Amino acid sequence: MRQKQLRSNNPNLRAPLAISFGAIAGALSRYYLTLGFNQWLGTAFPFGTFFINLSGAFVMGFFTTLALERTVISPDLRLIIAVGFLGAYTTFSSYQLDAEKLLTIANLGITSLYWIGSAMFGVLCLQLGSYLARRLP
Amino acid sequence: MINIVDPQLISPLAVSFGAILGALSRYYLTIGIAQWLGTNFPYGTFMINLSGSLLMGFFATLAIERVITSSELQLLITTGFLGSYTTFSTYALDTSVLLRSGSQKKAMFYWLGSVVFGGICLEIGIALAKVIG
Repeated sequence: MRQKQLRSNNPNLRAPLAISFGAIAGALSRYYLTLGFNQWLGTAFPFGTFFINLSGAFVMGFFTTLALERTVISPDLRLIIAVGFLGAYTTFSSYQLDAEKLLTIANLGITSLYWIGSAMFGVLCLQLGSYLARRLP
Repeated sequence: MINIVDPQLISPLAVSFGAILGALSRYYLTIGIAQWLGTNFPYGTFMINLSGSLLMGFFATLAIERVITSSELQLLITTGFLGSYTTFSTYALDTSVLLRSGSQKKAMFYWLGSVVFGGICLEIGIALAKVIG
């Protein structure tokens, strides 16, 4: 009897396991960072989600450029970091909910800064990360 | 009542459990939608972020209206599942890839459309929860 199915390198299990590990780390980082930011800077502006989404976009740009152009990174590690960790660390639904909440407590300028600003700075941070990965010695 | 799990551990466990479900749903949906509609446009992430925003509006409003009373269940659904299901970093990456492939119109539609339709979907979710709750 072949025991191929029992080996841990079964590709049907490796991908979901890699993503799950990354997702737990990413979501818990987001959860505790958001709590920390709230205690540090208050809740008048969603500093936590803002910082998380921009830093996550930066690392995504850096990592994907590194993986595609600079060095060989295993498919498992790519799934753990890009799909699992960064996918779960950053969030689009909380960002939209924060913007809606801001509308009721802040003025239109601050709300737009968060709503449109996250989208603009997100792409800029990603490009910056990508640029730095290309500039690595 | 016997506490099987340390109460301090319940919140991170709820977030983790939701996060696994959310990230795996995103992964398999992205693959499935790419096979179905092709890879000319990031349909997968687009649909995931819009549907996730609608569900976020719905469940956050149910929590506020006290239909969902358990704070652990709330954490599991909103911070865990929906937080991991939707993604901002892939959205920024998709926009950048579209820009670099020279399709400015597609990039603009995806970039601004995700934000505007995401906001509209959130409002629909809130309205639905108010009808039910």
